[in-house]
This record gives sequence, structure tokens and C-alpha cells, in this order.
Amino acid sequence: MGRRATAFTRVAKVTRATFDLLLPPSNTTAMPTPDAADVIDRAAGLAPGDPLHSARRFRAKVVEATEASHEALLRQPVEGLSTADRLCVALHVCTIAGARTLARHYEGQLAEASGGDAPSSPALPAMLQFAAALTTDPRRGDRAAIDSLRRAGLGDAAIVALAQLVAFLSYQLRVVAGLRAMRASPADVAP
Amino acid sequence: MIRRNGFTDETLEWRSWLEPLQLAAASPLQLEVLDESHPQSRTSPYYLTLAHQPLMLRHRSAAYNAIMYAPGGLPRAERELGAMVVSVTNGCVYCTSVHAQRFEQLARRSDTVEQVFADPASAGTSERERAIARFAIALTLRPDELGGDDIAPLRAIGMSDEEIIDLLHAVAIFGWANRLMQNLGEPEGVDR
Repeated sequence: MGRRATAFTRVAKVTRATFDLLLPPSNTTAMPTPDAADVIDRAAGLAPGDPLHSARRFRAKVVEATEASHEALLRQPVEGLSTADRLCVALHVCTIAGARTLARHYEGQLAEASGGDAPSSPALPAMLQFAAALTTDPRRGDRAAIDSLRRAGLGDAAIVALAQLVAFLSYQLRVVAGLRAMRASPADVAP
Repeated sequence: MIRRNGFTDETLEWRSWLEPLQLAAASPLQLEVLDESHPQSRTSPYYLTLAHQPLMLRHRSAAYNAIMYAPGGLPRAERELGAMVVSVTNGCVYCTSVHAQRFEQLARRSDTVEQVFADPASAGTSERERAIARFAIALTLRPDELGGDDIAPLRAIGMSDEEIIDLLHAVAIFGWANRLMQNLGEPEGVDR
């Protein structure tokens, strides 16, 4: 196991750019789905060519719909809910959930989206509070939390978008956590 | 019929705390996405609420349907077992009722359901079911601490990478589904 783990670690450390050069061209055209690493792959430390990167593509529809969800939840225009607000929420959720690699991803996206300016939506504190409660204990959701978002100025369509985003993050960070755990227990060295 | 610890396998209704979309006011895109999502979505307060953001609902439904219904890989009853264990762990009474029924339909038995309602941590009528239930709880409650030791029992019962990923998806997407059900409304027809 030791030798294999070392080799794996070394491969994982090769940068994406170098890794793409190492890939045989056929490998990039044979797959029915985009073969590049997506947000989940990068957060889980998977690169094209890794067994787990390929195993994920067994469920190509899930991979595509997960990436499309990430895109729509953050970028689809929503009245009263900017992309920078949503990236702040995502960063907060991943930080309190201990999802470090995803937190770095959202931190980078936020820096890009806001160009260094902190988002200033007056509803942001209420959004972050809602997101934190929902992330740490879904039982804490109640009608009062919805009302506090309404008082902060969010309409029903914005509340649906925010709830979808926070709920999606719970899914996304668990997929990443599971894949990272699988990397730590490769198939051919199981007891 | 099974009732225990506030959970049931009876059919429940769900009431939205927001204003569900009125069908008469729905755009063509909203109607299209509703029909892609679920056979009864046009009369479901849950789907009509989520339809306020049709593109977000479209991708969610595509992920959900592929995770729970696609052929091959992990047997569907075992994906439903994962969904039910997560729903009980998160205290989502509505999702638990739906996925207890689905498990019973697919597995043609309800003994596991009784065990999950009583205590998900020790539930399972076989080593395989117990490993699935324990993994579902671990990923639900402590994703930040998950490690190789949590995967090893799944390998030990012979699961392939693809099957483990199917289970991982089923468990994770109920982290998503439970949170929507529990934060945008509440079940009806149940004593809370």
C-alpha cells in the first residue's frame, strides 16, 4: 500500500497543465462527456486518468447535472440575490462545514466576481444566518427563518434560489468528502 | 403500516411556507421543467414552489432522477435504504415516509424499515445493509471527518467503485432534498 499511496500522492501533486500533456489524445475524445476535471474533481483532488475520475463518469448524467446545478445556482440571474452574495453564502457554508478545498474554490470565485469589493447586500447577514442554520442542522429550518428572509427584502423566487443553493452545497461537499475518502481507501488494497 | 419515533411509512402531504407557482401563471419553461421533474409535479406544492427557479429545478431533477432511478450499479432498493437512513438522521419526516415506501416496494419487505425507524445506527437485516446504513450516517453527520476507514467496510462487502459512488450520490442528494423539504415547508397529516 505504501508504494502505491506514494505514487498516487505524487501523481496528485502534478499540476493540471502538466497532467493534460501526459494524457494520450484518444482518452480525451473517447468519453461521451467532457473529460476535463470539474469543480468536484478539483476539490476532491481527481485528475483525468485517475480511476476515480473515470468511475465518476459511469454516471455521466449525474456529473453533468451537478456541474450545471453549480453554474445555475451561482450565475442564473435572480432579483435581489447577486452572484457575489451567493458566493459569500457558499464560502460561509463550506467554511463552517469544514470543506476546505471547496471553500478555497468559492473564495477564488468570490475574489473574481467582486473584484476585491466586499458584496454589500443589506440582506446578506440574514442570508448567512439562514445558510448556517440549514447547513449545520436541517431540523432548525422553520417558518420564522423564511419570514426573516422576507423582512430582509427577499421575494419568494429569491428565497427558493437561496434555499436551493444552500441545500446543493450540502450535497456537493458530501460528494467531495466521499470521493476524498475513497482516494484514501483505493479499491485494490482493500482488506 | 409502521409508526415509530415520529416517523411513518404512510403517505403524507407537504405544505409550502412560500407561495407555490399558480399553473395558470406558469411560463412554457416552467411547465416543461415541471414535467421533466416528476409525473405529479403539476399538482405538487413542493415542485410548484421550486418551479419559481425553473433552471435550478431542471438541473436538480436531472441529478436526482439519474441518482435514484438509473439502471445498473447499486441496486435501487439499496439507494432507497441510503435515502431513508439519511432522512431519519436529518429528521425529515416527509422524505422518510416516501423513501420507506419506495424501499418496501423494491425490496418487498418492511423489516429493515422498522429497524431504521427504531435506530438507524444499528439498522440492517444483513452485513451489507448495516454497512450501507452506517456509511449513510457517517457521511450525513461528519463529512469533514470522513476517511478511508469509512470506505473500508463497503469494500469488505464487495462493493465496486461505481457502487460506492452510487451510494455516495444517494446519501449526498438527500442532504439536498431533506433541506428543501424541511426549510421551505412542512409535512401535513402527522403528529409532530
